[in-house]
Amino acid sequence: MSTQSISLFQALGAKMDFLSQRQVLINQNVANADTPGYKPRDLKDMDFGKILGDINKNASNGVQQVSLGGTAGKHIGASASGETAKVEKQRETYEATLSGNSVVLEEQLVKSNQNNMDYNLMANLYQKNVGLIRTAIGSNR
Amino acid sequence: MTDIMNAINISAAGMQTQGARVRVITENIANANTTGDTPGADPYRRQTISFENEMNKELGINLVKVGAIGVDMESDFPIEYRPDHPAADENGYVKLPNVKTLIEMQDAREAQRSYEANLGMLEQARSMAQRTIDMLRN
Repeated sequence: MSTQSISLFQALGAKMDFLSQRQVLINQNVANADTPGYKPRDLKDMDFGKILGDINKNASNGVQQVSLGGTAGKHIGASASGETAKVEKQRETYEATLSGNSVVLEEQLVKSNQNNMDYNLMANLYQKNVGLIRTAIGSNR
Repeated sequence: MTDIMNAINISAAGMQTQGARVRVITENIANANTTGDTPGADPYRRQTISFENEMNKELGINLVKVGAIGVDMESDFPIEYRPDHPAADENGYVKLPNVKTLIEMQDAREAQRSYEANLGMLEQARSMAQRTIDMLRN
């Protein structure tokens, strides 16, 4: 039995996966803070409560994962079924420079910190649940 | 973990390009007084740098890289009356480089701030990776 066969762990793993993909985009935005014409990107918000519900419903159908979405089904990495996180260009930003760049470092910093806190929360929850299972098993550590 | 490693690579590329930018700016400032050496010759022309976001096929992610290092043909050379100068033309005027130290300093400061921002993001990605590894302890 792996932890992935428990739906709660599966959902936590999916959320952590989502958060690390989001961190990639935030880092990319900051790295392109001086690239002419660059528009910041972010992942579309996902309803993780719904995902957890789906996982519970389909618990017998095997593993379901959150993966990066593509615009067409044939794209590499796109999965035909299940929830996918979509990359979207941010339409409304605080400001844009003359070169057409609209990355605001402060905004990205806030997002990154939020992301990091969420990630820590998920990691803590994961560990707490492992502890809970340990208690149930009855090992002394 | 691959995602977090990608994030670190992206930030590192950002820092690298800002470093290249500082190099160009330094070159401009160092040549702020470089005139020609024959009568009427053009002096040093200020260099410009631009960035672009390009797919790195090895990693499969977009990394920022130095686009083109060009020369600034837009701004004019300031002239100064200095008849004794080797580059003075027949009327005694010398063309000076179109480098404005104030602009270069502004650019350098912006590059420094962007570098720091990238460093901060790298630190955040690193702490996420660290937190994941910490889950294996206890």
